[in-house]
Amino acid sequence: MDHQHTHNSSPRDLQMARSMCWHCQSEMSGEYFCDRCVKVQPVSKELDYFTCLGIPRRLTIDQHQLETKFYELSRAFHPDFYQNKSVSEQTISLANSAMLNTAYRTLRDPIQRAEYLLDLEAGAVKDIRTSPPADLFEEILELQDTLDEYRAADRASSTAATLCVKLQAERATLERRQQVMEAALQELFAQWDALQDRGEATSQTRSERDRILKHMRDILSNRTYVKNIVNDLVATIS
Amino acid sequence: MAYSDKVVDHFNNPRNMGSFKKEEEGVGTGMVGAPECGDVMKLQIKVQNDTIVDAKFKTFGCGSAIASSSLATEWLKGKTIEEAQKIKNTDIVQELNLPPVKIHCSVLAEDAIKAALADYQKKADGALAEAK
Repeated sequence: MDHQHTHNSSPRDLQMARSMCWHCQSEMSGEYFCDRCVKVQPVSKELDYFTCLGIPRRLTIDQHQLETKFYELSRAFHPDFYQNKSVSEQTISLANSAMLNTAYRTLRDPIQRAEYLLDLEAGAVKDIRTSPPADLFEEILELQDTLDEYRAADRASSTAATLCVKLQAERATLERRQQVMEAALQELFAQWDALQDRGEATSQTRSERDRILKHMRDILSNRTYVKNIVNDLVATIS
Repeated sequence: MAYSDKVVDHFNNPRNMGSFKKEEEGVGTGMVGAPECGDVMKLQIKVQNDTIVDAKFKTFGCGSAIASSSLATEWLKGKTIEEAQKIKNTDIVQELNLPPVKIHCSVLAEDAIKAALADYQKKADGALAEAK
């Protein structure tokens, strides 16, 4: 009745096209296989990993549920089972398996999971990249100078001994800071999940959401910087 | 993966490593990092009469990041502010023959140049406003 409406709904049309079986053209109601002709269906590249693996978009997840779904789909998509099928089906099984593996590897690890969630959600957050932590950078570069000094010093000398004590202390401080960051991340993960569970969409929850994502972004970045210098420190003094 | 000869050369003999005092007149400091890999880069320029008379860097990161910033300081010396603005990461990629996985190192170097120039400009504008 309203032809203007159908004219404007192209994104919806696209979705419809994807939900049609590539083989028998019937409308898809199954998840990854056509109900009518039982052909495997390509997993859409736009499908996010959480949806792909059938788990809610949360930062604390049920590892067992994730694993179970992964194994189930791995079996369903495995290229070995498609050797006698058509080339199209072989291609789909290969692409689906690749996507599934990446999805599983990403979601299995809590840090990678958070990074991925940030990628998914970041589009809507303004200025998610805050200014670089200049103080931390100064500290890292200074520490690196000390490391260079230590590397250049004669190991038996008193200079090396003094530097070593200093570096040990730095290491302890940095490792404490890592623990603080881990705890802060866990706290943010919990806050994010709680916010999602509430499911409200008021302006207040939106700003709360942005705050959590931004804070998470900062900590995840700083965490990488600190991790690198700690690795270097440990490798040099031990 | 193999580094090109130019990367190895800059890595083994980094040019202009070190730093200026941030507060010094005519000094612009750019401090950037790549959260993905954790590399940190500090690049400084010293400007007199709109020309970069000296440049220094300190980089904590992989060989390509060090080579990119070392090359950047070499290129910056003697350039005017306007010319320096035109340095692109793709120029660095070409000169050092960086592989695709290391392109982000050149991006970091370009960001560092831009940040140093912006910092210099900010300081210069501030000094101008104070003089008025």
